[in-house]
Amino acid sequence: MSDRKIIDLESGWDFMKKGISKLKDLLEGQTEAQFNAEEYMMLYTTIYNMCTQKPPHDYSAQLYERYREAFNEYINATVLPALREKRDEFMLGELVRRWENHKLMVRWLSRFFNYLDRYYISRHSLSPLKDVGLLCFQALVYTEVKRVIKDAALSLVEKERDGEQVDRSLLKKVIEIFVEIGNGDLNDYDKDFEAFLLKATASFYSRKAAVWIQEDSCPEYMLKAEDCLKHEKERVGHYLHPSSEEKLLREAENQILAQYEQQLLDKEHSGCHALLQDDKTDDLSRMFRLFNRVPNGLQPVSEIFRKHIENEGMELVKQAENAATAKKDSSKMKDGSSSTEQFFVKSIIELHDKYLQYVTECFLNSSLFHKAVKEAFEVFCNKAIAGSTSAELLASFCDNLLKKGGSEKLNDEGIEETLEKVVRLLAYISDKDLFSEFYRKRLSRRLLFDKSANDDHERSILTKLKQQFGAQFTSKMEGMVTDMQLAREHQTRFEEWLSENPGKKPGIDLTVTVLTTGFWPHYKFIELALPEEMANSVEVFKEFYEFITKHRKLTWIYPLGMCHVQGHFPSKPIELILSTFQAATLLLFNTDEKLSYEEIKERLNLPEEDVSRLLHSLSCAKYKILLKEPAGKTIATTDTFQFNEKFTDKMRRIKVPLPPMDEKKKVVEDVDKDRRYAIDAAIVRTMKSRKALAHQQLVLEVVQQLSRMFKPDFKVIKKRVEDLIAREYLERDADNPNLFRYLA
Amino acid sequence: MGKPETVRLVSKEGFEFVIDYKAACVSNTIKNMLSSQGNFTETELGEIKFPEISTPILEKVCQYFYYKLRYTHCPDVIPEFKIEPDIALQLLMASNFLDT
Repeated sequence: MSDRKIIDLESGWDFMKKGISKLKDLLEGQTEAQFNAEEYMMLYTTIYNMCTQKPPHDYSAQLYERYREAFNEYINATVLPALREKRDEFMLGELVRRWENHKLMVRWLSRFFNYLDRYYISRHSLSPLKDVGLLCFQALVYTEVKRVIKDAALSLVEKERDGEQVDRSLLKKVIEIFVEIGNGDLNDYDKDFEAFLLKATASFYSRKAAVWIQEDSCPEYMLKAEDCLKHEKERVGHYLHPSSEEKLLREAENQILAQYEQQLLDKEHSGCHALLQDDKTDDLSRMFRLFNRVPNGLQPVSEIFRKHIENEGMELVKQAENAATAKKDSSKMKDGSSSTEQFFVKSIIELHDKYLQYVTECFLNSSLFHKAVKEAFEVFCNKAIAGSTSAELLASFCDNLLKKGGSEKLNDEGIEETLEKVVRLLAYISDKDLFSEFYRKRLSRRLLFDKSANDDHERSILTKLKQQFGAQFTSKMEGMVTDMQLAREHQTRFEEWLSENPGKKPGIDLTVTVLTTGFWPHYKFIELALPEEMANSVEVFKEFYEFITKHRKLTWIYPLGMCHVQGHFPSKPIELILSTFQAATLLLFNTDEKLSYEEIKERLNLPEEDVSRLLHSLSCAKYKILLKEPAGKTIATTDTFQFNEKFTDKMRRIKVPLPPMDEKKKVVEDVDKDRRYAIDAAIVRTMKSRKALAHQQLVLEVVQQLSRMFKPDFKVIKKRVEDLIAREYLERDADNPNLFRYLA
Repeated sequence: MGKPETVRLVSKEGFEFVIDYKAACVSNTIKNMLSSQGNFTETELGEIKFPEISTPILEKVCQYFYYKLRYTHCPDVIPEFKIEPDIALQLLMASNFLDT
């Protein structure tokens, strides 16, 4: 290989030109013969020789130039005219063909000129041969036709959107050209095609949407919207570039959904509101799916949802109010377990269930909708009905469920479920401690008078409440339940002790229930002068109790006691079940036939209103065990009472009820007191940690801390702060009267 | 479209060396040539003429192809490829031509 003929530039290039023309013919489809090895060899060797010759015959630079020129020539001569001839779809086809050809040409020529690539180009850091070819095509062909191509392509897309059939593979190839022209990045595609595509999509859909919104109802519109979005997605799958998918869908959604969302939802007979009323769960789910895609799309929907629930709730409240006032007007109303209130609570539970189901089914458990339900329920659950708050209603509802002979006759599972739901509703009520108080009072009555239907249920509801609201809420109630157990044990021991010490036996059978003061609601302590027999028994038990425990003080709560008295009436003996007070009154008549009001009052040592009530129950109510002079329905201080010999009843054993005191006010008072303490504690806690705090912030902090139990009143908080200042827990800052400081 | 199994390399003097397709493709030049041909798939025998490379050089080149194939990606100790000094220059130029 040492001596070769020096190949001249022109002659060498001539040889190359022949090869290139052959290639061109091949591309045009005019010859059939491919290159065979020999020709390839010759071409390659020629280039090789031309480049490795000693300078000044080193023709690398010129060859590089000529390479580029060859492309330009070809494109200008053949490709461009061919393209300019055609239009629209045909032009697209032509372009695709030309592009394929061009790619082939680049490949072949780079092979020939490969040697250039290896050394010359890298040494001089020029663009590789492939890129040169691409650039030529881009500069000459692409820039000229890109707009036209884009228009043609977009018109095809629009035709397809209208439902016509178009040549999808053609579109796919055209779009590939856009992508490949960019040579690795998608800039050209984005700029020249995608931007226009998005604009066209937007205008297309805005037109369509404007028409639909006028004509169609909400569900139909949504169906069509879903359809369109599906089609667009398909389109991307078929021939668009995947990167466009996101943007395309967003554009379409924007046009169809976002723009018209408000209108859609407010539509008179078919909007969101109507769908909710008619319970069209399918449509609602679709609505949720569609608006989920649009940012902030679900806000208005959840708004409407919330308002709807609120309205329904308020309806129920109004119904209950009306029913309650009607009843009040017509007859005396007993507070507590009136049937309309029961009905109200039950219907609230149903409502709650229904809408929770909606949220899980249609709205896929979205937190936004959970919040809407919560807010709506909070609004109407806290409205008072005929003077009683919903806290009280819930408490009485539970009472009904759990007591013997309650109006609810459900089986075990049913009760459990209902209790669950009640606890959930409780979460919406802001005065939870009020509920706690009412419930405690009812619970104590149930436990003491043995009216609880099932101990297990009692425990289960307590556990549920504990789970929801923490141990503090239920600690007292649990204490009450355990107390009952303990009391039973005590009783058995007392009886054992009595049998061991027969001398101590009192004349009557005594059952004592010992309660821990802190757990049970506060009961008024009324001093009562007991008749002799009872006083004895009291003493005996006191002895026993001191025997078993030390350092404990017993306080006897007579109002809660019950007596079984054997009444020896001439006609037949009847057993009377009375409260301790009533029994004490009747026993007075054991010694005297006739007594006046004043005498009775003196003997019993009771306040006047209690005496009146007692005597009323014994003489003016259903069972006239005492005769009153003068007869009548009211008690006056001048009346006298006489034992009614002729009293009889068909039953062997009767219960004489005592008219109950109005507990409600007391309960509210108690709760207020507790609240005051709680607010005090919260204020001191906050101040201790912060040391110095402005009035506004203090109030905010306190409200936040107490929000779990109840909503404190601002005025009350202010008063408590003043009180604490007086008690020297806090002080006002000397400079800033609005700032408080903690005093250790 | 199957690849040809063997390739024939013809030297200046007309000697034919038949080697594997894979061995031949060690040289980029030969690989390019073979992949742009269209009419060898039926006969499955590609033939390339090298009118500038003499026979001993071409022989050495073929040996190198196999040597390269054998020891590429091989963890063993690689033996040396012996090159007689007097053909070194020509071998170098041939290698340059063939991009090997």
